[in-house]
Amino acid sequence: MSVVGECVLAFVFGTAVGLLVQRSRFCNTAALRDAMLFKTYRNTKALLVAMMILTLGFTGFITIGEGNPMRFDVGLNQIIGLFLFGIGMVLAGACTVSTWVKAGEGNVGAMWALIYTFAGMFLFSLVWSFIYWPPAPAAMSGEPALEALQLGFSNAATLQEKTGIPAIVFGLVQFAVLFAIYRSIVRRERPGAGRMASIG
Amino acid sequence: MEFFRKTLDPVIALAAIAVLDIFLFLQLGAWTVGGGETMMTGLIAEFFMGDDLRRIPFWQLVFEPDAGYWKIYISLGMLFGAVIGAVMSGEFFIRYPRRLSEWIMITIGGLLMGIGIRLAFVCNVSTFFGLTPELNLGGYLAISGIIAGAWVGSLIYKRILGV
Repeated sequence: MSVVGECVLAFVFGTAVGLLVQRSRFCNTAALRDAMLFKTYRNTKALLVAMMILTLGFTGFITIGEGNPMRFDVGLNQIIGLFLFGIGMVLAGACTVSTWVKAGEGNVGAMWALIYTFAGMFLFSLVWSFIYWPPAPAAMSGEPALEALQLGFSNAATLQEKTGIPAIVFGLVQFAVLFAIYRSIVRRERPGAGRMASIG
Repeated sequence: MEFFRKTLDPVIALAAIAVLDIFLFLQLGAWTVGGGETMMTGLIAEFFMGDDLRRIPFWQLVFEPDAGYWKIYISLGMLFGAVIGAVMSGEFFIRYPRRLSEWIMITIGGLLMGIGIRLAFVCNVSTFFGLTPELNLGGYLAISGIIAGAWVGSLIYKRILGV
C-alpha cells in the first residue's frame, strides 16, 4: 500500500473510532479508575468485550500467517513506563484516546493534557539521548538481554513456532480468562447479589 | 438521526471498534496512539528547532520525524470523528477545569503519560487493543504496570479531590 493509502486508511479508522468513542462516552481511564474507586464497571465490561474479540481475531489470523503484529523487545521498561502512564491518566482524567476525543468536544483540560503529553515525550527524548535505555529498535535482537533488563520478543506467532500448537489455541485460553472476568463482573452487578452473598 | 440523539452502549461501540481494529491489523497493524503522538512531537520540535533537532540522538535513532507516518492520522482522525459526533449531537461546547488543583493534576498527568509512553514504547491503547490480544509478553508486563499505576493514581485522586 502507498504511503498516502496508509495515511488515508488510518484517518478513516481514526474517524470511526473517534465517532464511536464520543457517542458511547467510553473511557479507558474510567474502565480502570471507576472499577477501583467506585466499583462501577460500565467501561470495564466494554474493554473486556473488545479484548475478547481482538484475541480471537488476532490469534486466528496469526495462526494462518496473516496480519501485522507489533514487533519489538520488551522488558522492565514496559512495567515502569505503564506504571507512570497509569498514574498520569488518572490524574489527567483521560488516556490517549479520551484526550483526543474530549479535545474534539471542546474540553480545554484535555487539550492541555495533550500539550503536556507531547512535552513529556520531548523531555524523555532528551533523557534517552544521555542514557540510551531502553534500547533503540536497531539494537533489539529479539533475544533476552538481561544486562539491559530486556526479555526479548515473544507473541502468539513465536508461541506457535516454538510449540507447534496453533496460536488460536492460546488465544482461546486467553479468551476464556477474559470471559471469566467479564462473567464475574456481570454477576457482581446483578441486583441483590451482595444481599444473597451475605445471607448465604 | 437516532445515532446522534442517544448515548451508544459502550459494549456495542467497542465491539465495532474491535472488528475495525482486526481489519487494520490485517492491512497495517493494530490500533495504537502513542507512536503517532511521538511523531507529532518530533514534527512540532522540528518546526521550532529546524536542523538542531538532529543533534538529539533520540530523533535519529528511535523516531526520525516523518509526516508520512500512518499512526499520526489515527489520532487526527479520532479528533475529527469526535468533533463530528459532538457537533451533530449538540454536545460541543468549550469547557475549562474550574479549580487550580485540576489544572495542576492535568499538567502532571500529561507529563507522566508522555514520559511513560516513550519509556514503555506503548500506550494504553496498544496494551489493551494490540499487544495483549497478540499474546505479546509486553502486553502482560504493561497491564501489570498500568493497573498498579491506576491504583496509585486513584489513591492520589481520592486524596486531592476528596472522592
